[in-house]
Amino acid sequence: MSSPMHHAEHTRAVLAPPTISTRRTVLTLLAATIGAGALTVPRRASAADPIRLGAILPLTGPDASVGIQQQRGLRFGVSRLNAAGGIAGRPLEILYEDDEGRPDQAIISFNKLVSLEGVPLIFSAFSGPTLAMAPLATRKKIVLVNGGAQADRLAKASPYLFNTIPVAADEIAVLAKYLISNGKKTAGILYENDAGGSAGRNDFRAAFEQVGGTIIGQEPVTFGQTDYRPMLLKFASSKPDVLFVMLSDGLGPLADQIYQMKPSFLIVGTSFFNDPALLHSPGSNGWLHTQVKIKAPTAIAASFKSMFNVDMEFWGSQYSNATYIMAQAIARVIAQKEPITGENIRQAIFDIKTFNVMLPAVFATNTAAMEIDIARIQDAQQHVVQAIKLG
Amino acid sequence: MLLLQLLINGLVTGCALGVIAISFSLAYSTTRIFHVAHAGVYTLAGYVAFALAGLGVPDMVALLAAMAVCALVGALIQSELYARLARRRATHLGVLIASLGVLAVIQNLLSGVFTPNIRPFASAWRGRTLSFGGVTLTQVQLVTLVVCAAVYPAALLFTRRTVLGKQIRAVASNPFLAEITRLEPQKTYIIVMAIASAMVAIPGVLVALDFGVQPYDGTTVLLTATIAVIAGGVGSLTGAFLMAVLISVLQNLSLLVISGEWSVGVTFLIFLIFMLFRPRGLFTRR
Repeated sequence: MSSPMHHAEHTRAVLAPPTISTRRTVLTLLAATIGAGALTVPRRASAADPIRLGAILPLTGPDASVGIQQQRGLRFGVSRLNAAGGIAGRPLEILYEDDEGRPDQAIISFNKLVSLEGVPLIFSAFSGPTLAMAPLATRKKIVLVNGGAQADRLAKASPYLFNTIPVAADEIAVLAKYLISNGKKTAGILYENDAGGSAGRNDFRAAFEQVGGTIIGQEPVTFGQTDYRPMLLKFASSKPDVLFVMLSDGLGPLADQIYQMKPSFLIVGTSFFNDPALLHSPGSNGWLHTQVKIKAPTAIAASFKSMFNVDMEFWGSQYSNATYIMAQAIARVIAQKEPITGENIRQAIFDIKTFNVMLPAVFATNTAAMEIDIARIQDAQQHVVQAIKLG
Repeated sequence: MLLLQLLINGLVTGCALGVIAISFSLAYSTTRIFHVAHAGVYTLAGYVAFALAGLGVPDMVALLAAMAVCALVGALIQSELYARLARRRATHLGVLIASLGVLAVIQNLLSGVFTPNIRPFASAWRGRTLSFGGVTLTQVQLVTLVVCAAVYPAALLFTRRTVLGKQIRAVASNPFLAEITRLEPQKTYIIVMAIASAMVAIPGVLVALDFGVQPYDGTTVLLTATIAVIAGGVGSLTGAFLMAVLISVLQNLSLLVISGEWSVGVTFLIFLIFMLFRPRGLFTRR
């Protein structure tokens, strides 16, 4: 690596205006500048320069209901970090791009943020767009931070992709064991027909069958679908002990329809059940689900509510937490007087490994290990019935 | 019993889809505009009723208000957009793109104002159920079935028995002849678009009462309704309505024998084969 003195001198040489205005001199300087281009590095940031990161989220389109919650989480994290003095005295700034939940648009946004804005780290959402960007992240050495998608393929998609939430398989393994130990032997699966939903279906089938359970049916739905009655009727006729639900949206209408239908089976799922629309529906009473620790301290949750006038939802807390984790990694890079590059941030995450932030997380691999609880929903509240401690 | 329940559920969603199909058919067969923005008007209706219900307006009054608002929006789209484009001799493709633009604007406005989240109506009655003969329906489903099933014969009577209905059919049949007989096609187009928009507001509100409002839900529904219009025979209200009901019932009943993963594909495969034999639709006279 070049010395800081060399960088400064070189930058001055490149930026110095030509004093002789002959065409030949200008051309010579231009050629020298272009020739030296390969060695040129960005100028050293001053203490007041903001640290710019990127975020590619679905801010419009059908997935926006989730994307906007995720953006609220990032905005909240940034505002708290900046209010506390930023990262090593430098303010944090996130440049947002809307990918409408589409992988092709996500790639365009990725290239824009990396090539034009020069960001070293990008927050992403949803399995499809994140998986599409993963090879680019590897090639360009840009840290990609997924705070919400849980498809298993995300775990090994890129050495530069960090999942600040456990993948679905981790939660589902806990759930399957709990169900069998409580006498639930047969299950149906209702899943979203996309990368995350299909991965959840496969995980549940594998985990449940491995511990002795039987899957007696599976039905897909599309993202944003709200009429589940035909599928629920079909499941009701086959009478499974439980219905495993892997939906990231539309859980409120599902709870309403369960309430109207009153089927005999128990509804079970994962952290996606932390949806205010679901919790406030009387149909969700008795539902069981795994949950990674999501409850922010009371003061932080109150601050979030005063900022956005909504409760701190699942995605809000996950993406705020992701901001704190990455801020800590960047602070380490700065403390070591290294440039803030994707490569250095990645190394810092593994060096720190245990992040005691709002929601503690351990990075032994690219996917965070977190506490996973089993919770029961009752009267719009979640009650932990079994806690599996971190580590 | 599962068969009967799936059949009734299919009829409920089919009747709602049928009204969307006949409203689209009425607009398309008269104006010859592929009015994609109809999906936006459908969605808008739910939000108008949702906003009014939030202010304490009774749901059925909110439905009537939504019909009025949508009629106005439909008339404005025709008079201020489609008519202007027609005067400037825009191509069919140009008009289609303009219609897509209106759809995007409506969806994004609704998303911006009301958030993109699925938002349920607070009305207590929407969740109440009624059981008869082993079949259970919510009150909203029952109202949807009755009201939407009634819209179909009402639309038929309107187009066949009223002076305005006959004028609309005349303009749809031959706009040039209608022009010289002082039927004023441009004025008729505005009226038709207002009627079609008020009509689509009915399922727009009733379906939203059942499942909640969401800004992007209209597009897929309109696509299915369009298929019903084409398979039923463009210009045939009966064809559009019956095909919509058939599609919904088939999609529901197919779950008895195949996974939902395949039901949409298999349903539309049946229609694909059907279209090979009746490419002009079921109810079009040769």
